[in-house]
Parts: sequence; structure tokens; C-alpha cells
Amino acid sequence: MKENNLLTEINIPSNNDIHDEALINEFVNGVGKNVFILTPSYPFVFIGRIIDVVGDHVVVDVKVTTIGELENRNWSIHIHQIEVFYIEEKGMPKIPELKVDI
Amino acid sequence: MKRFYHVVAIPIRIVLNNFGDYNETGMMYVLKENEEKVKEAVKRNPFSPVDLVQPLCIRANQGDTVEILFENKIQYATGMHFHEADYDVLDSDGANVGFNPSSLADPGKKILYRLQFHHEGVAIFSDLGNPDSSDEGTSINGLFGALFIEKRGSSWTDPETGGPLNSGMFADVHHPFAPSFREYAFIFHDEMSTKDITGNRPLDPVTNQERESTHAINYRYEPVQNRQKLIEEGVVCADCEGEEVHHDSWVFGDPATPIFRGYKGDPAKFRLVHAGVKETHVFHYHAHSFFRDPLNTDSDVFDAISVSPQNWYTIDTLYGLGSLVGAFGDFIIHCHLYPHFGVGMWAINRVFDTLQDGSQCYPNGVPIKALRPLPDRPCPPKPTKEKPGFPNFIPGKVGCKAPRPPLGIVGGRGLTELERNAAVPTARPGAVFTDPCIIEDNPEVQEINVSLIEIPIVYNSHGWNDPKGRIYVRDEDLEDVLAGRKQPEPLILHMNAGTCLAVNFTNRLPEVAGGDAFQLVTRAYETSFHVHFVKFDVLVSDGANVGWNYDSSVLPGEAIRYEYFADVELKAWFFHDHLFASYHQQHGVFGSTVVHSRFSTVLDPRTGEEVEVGSQVTVTHPLIPDYRDFVLMVQDFALLFDENGCPLNPPEFPGSQDDPGLFAVNYRNEPLQFRLGEDCDPAYSFSSFVNGDPFTPILYCYEGDPIRIRILQGAQEESHSFNVHGLRWKKERPDVETEFQAQEHIGISESFTFEMEVPRSGDYLWTFETEEDLWNGCWGLIRAFDEEVDFLIPLPDQPSPPQRTNPLPVCTGEPPAPAECVEVDAPLDAPVRVFHIVAFQIPILYSKWGENDPFGIIFALKEDMDDILCGRKSPQPLILRATQGEMVEVHLTSFLEFDKFPFPDGIWPYPPVKEQAFYPPSVRISLHPQLIQYDVKSSAGETVGFNPDQTAGPGETVIYRWYVDVQVGACGIWDMADIRNHRSLGTYGTFIAEGRGTKFLDPKTRKPAVNTSENIILQHPFLPERREFVLIMFDGARLEDKEGCVIIDPVDGILTGVDPDELDDLVDTYDNGSRGFNYRTERLINRLRKHPVLKDLFSSRVHGDPSTPVFEAYPGDPITIRLLNPSERRRAHSFHLHGHYWNTDDKDIFSQVKSHEDHIVLGHARDLDIHYGAGSFFNFPGDYMYRSGNMRWDLEQGMWGIIRVHKNKKKHLPALKNRKEIK
Repeated sequence: MKENNLLTEINIPSNNDIHDEALINEFVNGVGKNVFILTPSYPFVFIGRIIDVVGDHVVVDVKVTTIGELENRNWSIHIHQIEVFYIEEKGMPKIPELKVDI
Repeated sequence: MKRFYHVVAIPIRIVLNNFGDYNETGMMYVLKENEEKVKEAVKRNPFSPVDLVQPLCIRANQGDTVEILFENKIQYATGMHFHEADYDVLDSDGANVGFNPSSLADPGKKILYRLQFHHEGVAIFSDLGNPDSSDEGTSINGLFGALFIEKRGSSWTDPETGGPLNSGMFADVHHPFAPSFREYAFIFHDEMSTKDITGNRPLDPVTNQERESTHAINYRYEPVQNRQKLIEEGVVCADCEGEEVHHDSWVFGDPATPIFRGYKGDPAKFRLVHAGVKETHVFHYHAHSFFRDPLNTDSDVFDAISVSPQNWYTIDTLYGLGSLVGAFGDFIIHCHLYPHFGVGMWAINRVFDTLQDGSQCYPNGVPIKALRPLPDRPCPPKPTKEKPGFPNFIPGKVGCKAPRPPLGIVGGRGLTELERNAAVPTARPGAVFTDPCIIEDNPEVQEINVSLIEIPIVYNSHGWNDPKGRIYVRDEDLEDVLAGRKQPEPLILHMNAGTCLAVNFTNRLPEVAGGDAFQLVTRAYETSFHVHFVKFDVLVSDGANVGWNYDSSVLPGEAIRYEYFADVELKAWFFHDHLFASYHQQHGVFGSTVVHSRFSTVLDPRTGEEVEVGSQVTVTHPLIPDYRDFVLMVQDFALLFDENGCPLNPPEFPGSQDDPGLFAVNYRNEPLQFRLGEDCDPAYSFSSFVNGDPFTPILYCYEGDPIRIRILQGAQEESHSFNVHGLRWKKERPDVETEFQAQEHIGISESFTFEMEVPRSGDYLWTFETEEDLWNGCWGLIRAFDEEVDFLIPLPDQPSPPQRTNPLPVCTGEPPAPAECVEVDAPLDAPVRVFHIVAFQIPILYSKWGENDPFGIIFALKEDMDDILCGRKSPQPLILRATQGEMVEVHLTSFLEFDKFPFPDGIWPYPPVKEQAFYPPSVRISLHPQLIQYDVKSSAGETVGFNPDQTAGPGETVIYRWYVDVQVGACGIWDMADIRNHRSLGTYGTFIAEGRGTKFLDPKTRKPAVNTSENIILQHPFLPERREFVLIMFDGARLEDKEGCVIIDPVDGILTGVDPDELDDLVDTYDNGSRGFNYRTERLINRLRKHPVLKDLFSSRVHGDPSTPVFEAYPGDPITIRLLNPSERRRAHSFHLHGHYWNTDDKDIFSQVKSHEDHIVLGHARDLDIHYGAGSFFNFPGDYMYRSGNMRWDLEQGMWGIIRVHKNKKKHLPALKNRKEIK
């Protein structure tokens, strides 16, 4: 049977590679800025400042997550596990300041 | 793996406690190897409990084949019926059902059962040879046990010796990969016939009347009444009253009930089993929490859970023993229903902080048995003289009440040296031996000052009142409440997750509580603030007096500080007094604290100011949607007087626990007897136009608002059924894959949070809906405004409501007009399915034995009315089906005639309710559906609040439009025009929301089925064909026998009769009425009279098939059972199908698998997708019984039937398509 080149040909970089790289760049450009991240796995929510990007992991100084025990420490989050994120930019909405105020 | 157990059923004297209370007609299952040992031990110890006399607990692994050689040494035929098992129903059912051969063993005979177990959990076993509910029955006398199904590859050892274990209530279970855990059998059972050591019926030393019936755990109970006698005789603690030291080991030593022992941090699973016959108990575990479904980490978290007869749960303790904070000490576990708790249904989970090798003693000199550490856990430190470990550092005195905790009581004592050695470095008031708040670095601290006071409470606008109301109030509100400037309501506090809460509690009650028609004078002199759910040091902040712990309560005028930590969003936690709860909780001694997400702000919904208390608040949050938060606390045993000071529903004698008093929600009620209006038509009882708004809570929101309803039960003994009409919520709140529900059963101390949106404006009815609750006023409204009102701030993140253009409606005294337009939010092109339905009166024949209802009222399709009236068709509960995406248009016409009602004089005598009153029958009718979408202003099928009329009078037709947006499966439908005069006569049915594209086929002809049939084939282009069987469980029916005499069930159906001495207080109001499925019943008493052989009662060879539905299938046929209870009584039922099982959440394939449905009351609607189809795993043919698990009083009263799985092809039953060929 004749091989169908259209199905077997692999282009490098693939669309997925381009997409993944763009995401990483987005975080690299955001170093030093505040970020809001949702992941499907525990503890789901991260709010803090982007410290660095190492490989495809973003390092965040996390000020707020779902429970207090996991806050005020650096979290290394796999960028491709992030479902939703927002990097705070000037002129754009601010990430809410979450205060314990009872 | 194959396992073998030789089990013998023997008669045995069961001594239930150290006071010598005993059951002389006891029976038990025992391993053959222990039979002689146990008989000998009982012979030698006739007056004290014998360790080996315990319910048989055996174990097997998932996938194991278990052979049980059963030997019967009871004087009649008995057997062992296993739940959760796969087996050949023809030889291993442990019953004698339908046309199966009997798999019971005659006296002296043996039978071999061969079983396989395919899911982890508990396989309860019990006898079905003698289903008698009286004191002569087998289940009531102890013939039950459990097989625990462990993970594949597990092994188990004796916790004391580490040696092998063939049977026993306690085991350490090990696994090559998973952590070892302590396994504790916790088997509730009730109603066991009991005598005291003198051979007489046990008396209550305070009332000198007989005490409550027996409520026990693992054949043991520890009634307060026995312990009280030692106080009265001056043997111990002469200055004590009784209830406050009921659980105090310093005074009495340890109870006879099980002590579940472990070390701090040990993983532990309680196998909670209800092997009893009647009551739905509430299992409450102090200071610990667990998932409702241990297999689903997205399921709800509980610390109290209701369990009905023959059901079970695995209580997989979160964080291990001592919970998150690593607490240690004595944690009481009890049935929270106070009369049961009082009569001894409690036990202790003892968590040690030091190694117990058998060399130590309790403070009273009793040796502490050795307890081996779990092999994969660190070994606890050995006790030393300086650090002797719990309980030996506590400075108590044997024979006297437990000491008060150090530091916590204002003006109290400091630490002794031993206490200081045991204390944490951060020891402070309320947190001495465990620091609950150390979990988080520097958490927020919220401090609240709370007092418990006595104050009269008026419960409704007709002057019903509790002159001795007792409530918690914040100290800041004390003056306003005492001066009448603030209305009493249960104290609802609000806090955020991650908060450390300090409560300064002051006891401001009088030392002595007065007596009246309900209660005797009681020295209820010390009280507390006992909490659920949150984490704390159990020794000093439990607000209780348990085991060898401190007594963490205070005397009048004293104050104590407690400290708790809310680690996560914990819904609403319950608090109450734990010292004299039986005496005064029903006076209002309960409240709740709602734990919101972190960073929430709680606002007064009227002013927008920040608040920390209130049963109705508005919550805003920077990230998640803002919401309205409502708390409803239901109560029974409310000891009320009318405006003239006459007691309402007083007991026979003061101090009786036999269902005194009435019902309320948040200290309020709105009885229907006061809401007849000028026309005396019950159809407008809920109408605010006719009667004004109810006195009970009206929960305010705007159209589109998210709301959270927290329901809790504050008092005292009974089941309730919460329903919201017109709204629905996800069953497991954190889970996306879960079913919708609109009803929840609740028992005391349980807490549920329901989250939903209110899509449209209008008045929505919330109600604790069983007939007696609703009749006595447990209902109110959720009012969603379409335009702005000045007493409700809009939610900040919602669009502002429009300015008000129309004045708010007011009470006119006149019934409202029907809705001007009937619309529903459905796509314009949604297919429309139209039903013309009529309601009319017709005698209904309930069984082949002649039981009938001459006054029946049914809903039916209009086209069937003539056939039914002429007898060509039998009446059956209305079943309607539509598919997802369809709009349903219902035209309902009433043909009711006033003269055809049984009690036109307006007094309905049977089945009875408390506070009987004039309430004449309505000739109007309505049809209310659950779970599907409609506008409550036109199509809720009830006339509620300021909504238009939605009932139809004689000859009138009302139109409803419903939209089936989701395939919700079974939904109850019922009349709301007259809940007193209609429901017992049959005004209920079901609406089934089927999958899109489903066709309905007749199982006999395979042609399109009649939509209303109880047995159809569901055909779908993408799915295999399924059989759908509809079972509408009913209770509260008023039936007559063929002679025309009213049948007073359950009493008339009890197989061996009732002792006349017991007749007066045997049944509660809500036990009354006949019961069964689909307007049919098969009461065993008829069968017994014809053929007086107990073992043949379910046999079709002897009696023919039952009158209840016999559903037919071939092996492996996919089956869905639609199981509902839309009827009326408050006694919760359970449901079991022999040899089959299903997911407990039909929308979650990872949910727990069971062969049982639990606590079924009005509004329950479930879809049971049977695993592996008819005949279960092995597809074995035969007759499988479906039935209630309540031996008292459902099974013998006719709540059972058969699913018949044919081996060979039958002419009348074509096979399903795509199934293998049937010969």
C-alpha cells in the first residue's frame, strides 16, 4: 500500500510546540508581575508574583491559595497544567487583594 | 481466594450491660469454633456481659469466593441473607422467595451458601426465615452480623495480640500497598426485648415509668437510668443529677458499650451498620469528620450521618484518629437522637498518646488491655512517671465527677505538674494538650462571647409559646434580646475558613429548671457549648463530659473559653449543650456557625453593614460569586403551650420521651389549621393573599441570585424531609459529576449545604414536608423579587435589579386569580408533549386479599378515565414520561366531589397527626413536580405566597408548562391543594425525565408503550435497550379490609400480635397507615392466616405471586429502577434488592456501590441503574425480592415484591434487542 505522506509527515516545530512556547514566553514576559492561576489539581488557586520561569515551570511567590498553610512560599507550577491565568498589566483590572478582615 | 466459615445460629441469653439488663430470647450467629465456648461462658456468667456474645463479624477480600456452611439451631427455619453479594439466588439467597427453592435451613439442618463479593464495604447478613416484627422475630433478637469486604490483597490481625483473627468486632487490617488501619464494627440495633436483672421491665428511676425501648451498639447499651440509680443510692457522686455524668468514666468506670481503641494518628475505619428493625439513627462522631462516600473525595464531608435499617457506611476517618490536630483522649460516638442516646446508644473512641502494652491501669485500677501499634506507624512513646499518658495525668477522683479543665474557666485553676508535662508548649485556655490553631502560621483569631439564657419564646402569631425557651445569644445582644428588642432566633455565627475561633461561653441559666406537663423539675445546673466539625483539643474544649476526659462545662454564673480551628470551608457546624441536652435542647439550645470561604465578607442583607451573626445574610467575595446565605434549623419535641397556657401534645406523663410536643423551624411555625381562610378551603393554606405571609422565615433574594441554604436539625428525635419546590441542587456540592436533588432527609445534628440559583422571581415553598411536619407549620418561603425593594441590598456582583414600578402585593383575604400567562423558559422550537390529566375519586383495590381504599383519589390520563371508572383498567399512580429537551404541557382537571370524601366533617382521624384540628376536604387539586424547570408563578402546581392560583376546582382545568432541561430521571409529583385530605388517598405519582431520543416500548408487545406504564422498555439509538421498572413506595394509606373495616396498620399487620400492655405507646403517629408499592400491598398477615408457616411467607409456590409488582426480565437485561416516595409519613424507610447493586449516585460511575437505598421519606427520588443487569454479576435466573429493610414495620405490612429473571424464553416477554439468544 502506498504510504500517505500527509499523515506521517511531522513538521517541527509542531503547532503544539508553537503553542507551548508562546505560553512559556507569556510567563517569561510576566516575571515580576502579579499573577492569578487556576489549575485542575490541588490547591487549585494561586495568587502571587512571578519570580522566574525555569524550563516549562513558572516559579510564583504565592501570597494566596485556597488554604493558608500553603501560602507565603515559592511554588513551581507546570505551565502546561495551568487551565486559566491572568497576568496583571497596567491599565487592566487588578487582581483582587484578598484580606482576612473579620 | 476461597474462604470458608461454618456459622451456627443459636439461641443465647444476651446480657446487655454490667447492670445485668438482658434479653432472654436472644439469638446470634457464631462461628462453629466458638459455639461451645460462648455457651459455656454464658452459662458461667448469667448476669454479666460475655465478650464472645457479640454480633458475628467476619471478613473477606474483594473478589473472594466465600462459602458459608450455615447450621440452624433455632427452633424454626432460619437462614443468612447477605447484602452486597453475588450468588445463585436459587441456592444461596438465605430466604424462600417466589418460586425459588428455599435456601433456609430447618431446625438442626445445615445449608451451604456460596457467595462472591465484588465491591469493598459491608455485607450485612440477617435472617428472613422469620420476618415477624414483634419481640418474637429474629432480627430484633440479635440474629444479624456483617461480613466486611476489604481491598483485594488485605489481611487482618487481632489488635491486642497481633495474631490471626477469624472473627471479631475489632481488627487491624493490612495491605501490601495501602496503610494499615484499625477496623471497628459499629452495629446499631434497636427494640430488643429487654428485662432488668430482676426479670422485670426496666424502669426509669426519675419517672418511675418504663424506660425507653432498647437502642444498642454491638449487643450492648449503657442507659443513663441505670447509672442514675447508683447516684440515687449514694454509691457515687452524691451531688450529681444524672445526665451530666452519663458518660463520665470517673464516676462509673467505662461503659459496657464498645471502647474503640487506637493511637493518635492511626488510620481508622468504622464499619457503621444498622442491623436493627425500625428507627433511622444518626451516627455522630465527636471531633472527627469523614466523606459521605469514602470513594469520592469530592463528596460532602460529614461528622453525623443518618442510617436506616439494614444500611451501612464506611466511616473512613479523615486525618486518622485525633483528626487534623492530633488530639487524643476519649471521643464519644453516639446516636444523636436524644432518647436513644439517653437509653444507652453510645460508645467511646479512645485515642491513646502513649504505648499500651498491658502493664498500665485506668485510674480506677482496671487494667488497660494491650494494643499493638500498627506496623507501619511510629511506635507511641512509653508511659513514664512524669508523662503517664492519657488518662493518667488527669487529676480526677474515682467515684466523683470528672475534674474541670485547667486554664479554661475564668477564675479557675492552673496546671498540675503532670498536666504541665502533658501540655503543649503553647498551652492556653481552651487549647491545653493539643494546639488546634498551630496548623496555620499565625492564623486570624475571631473571638465571640456567647451566653446561654432562659427566655420565653413565642412560636407563632397564634400565641403558641415555650415559656422556658433556652437559647444561645451573643453577649452584645443580650440586653436587646432580654428587652424584646430583638426576636429570639437560633444563634447563627459566621466565620471564614482558616480562622481560629475563641468562644467565651457563660452559663446564665438558673440552676434548677421548673417542671410542667412535659418535664419534671430537673437540676440542669451545668451547661456547655459543644461543637461539631471544627478541630479542637477534645480533653478541654469538647463542651462535654466523656470517659476519662475533663468535664468541660461550667456552672451557672461561670464562664469558660473554648478554642477551635476551621481548616477549610466546612459548611455549617452545629453547636449545642452536651450536659443536659436531653432535658433542654428541645427548648432551643442549639445554633450553628457557617464557615465561608476565606476572604468572604458577611453583610446584613438589609443595611449592607458587616455582621457576624444572623440566619439570613449576604456574602460577598472577591473571586467567587456573591450569594445569599440562609440557615434553617428544624426541631421536634418543641414543648409548646397555646396562648391560654394549655400544653400542646403533652406526653402521658412528665418526663416521657414518647414524642411530646410539636415541630418548628428557627423557633417558629405556621400551622395549617390556622390558614383555612374565610372559605375554609385548604387549597389556599399557603397563599399570602388569603392568610398573609407565614410567621416562619421568608428568605429574600433577587431574581438570578445565587443562594446557599444550610439545613440543620436542632432537636430532638425524629426524621424530617426537607424539600424546596421549584429549585434543585447538586447532591455532592463540590462534585461536577453528581445528580440533582430537591429533597434531603435529615436527622438531628446533621448539616447540609445546598447551593443553587433562583432563576426567576416568585415565591418558592421550602418545607419539611412530611404530612405531620407540614401540618404543624414547618414551612416558609424563598421570595425572589423582580424589582428592587428597600429592605434587601442587591448582590454587588449581580446586575442591579430594576427600580420598583409595581407596589408589593398585600394580603387581601381573597384567593388569588389564576396566572394570566403560563410560560416556561424553553427553546422556541422545543417539542411539546401534552398531557390531559384528570383527578377523580374511585375505589382502589390494593391487593388480592381484599385490602382496598373505597375513597381513593387518583390522577390519570383523561383518555383512561372511562376505562378506569368502568373497571377495564386498574387504578395506578400516575406515571408521566418526557424526554430531555421537551416542553411538557399539563392540563389538569378536577372531578372531585365533596360528598365522596371519607371525612367531610373536616376531622381526619386515621392515619393521625399531632394537634388534630378542623380542616375540611378541598375539591380543588394540583400537581407539583420536582427537579424540572418551570415558573413558580404559574406552574409549580400549588398556590404559594403571592403567586397566582395554580389549583383546579371541580370541572375547572389548570394548565402547567414544564421544561425538561436535564435528564433528571425520576421526579416525584403530588397534589399540594390539600395535604391532609388527599395524600392518604393516592394523590401522587412520578414524572420521569428520560434521555433525549428515547422511545418507550411495551415489554409484552414491543410496540410503543402507554406512556404511563410502570414497566416499559427504553429504546435509544446509541444505547442498549433497558427495562425500566417504576416503584412508587407509599405509606400513610387508609385501607379497609374486604369486610369494610378500617385496617389500623402497622398494628393490625403484626404477625404474632401485640402485647396489650405495649399497645398504647408502641407506635408513633407517623408509623400509622398502610404501605407498599404502586397502590398495592402484600401484607404477610393474610398469608400467615391462610398458611401459618413463617418460612413460607414469601413463597409463591404456597401463596401465589404477591399483589405488588412482579417485574420480569431475562438474565443480563439492563435494568433501571425508578424508586420514589411521594407519600406522606415521617418514618424513614429503606430499600433493598436481593442479589443486585448500583451506584449510589447515578451520575457518578465512581460513586460507592450498594444494594441498598437509605432513609427514604417524602420527596425521595432515585434512579437505580443495576450493575450487570438482571441476575447481577453472574446473570443467574430466579426470583429476587425487593423490599424495605425496616422489619418494623414495613416488610410484614406489605412493602415487598419480586423481580423475576427467567431462564427460558416466555411467550409473553419478548427479549430485548441485542441480547444473547434466550432458549
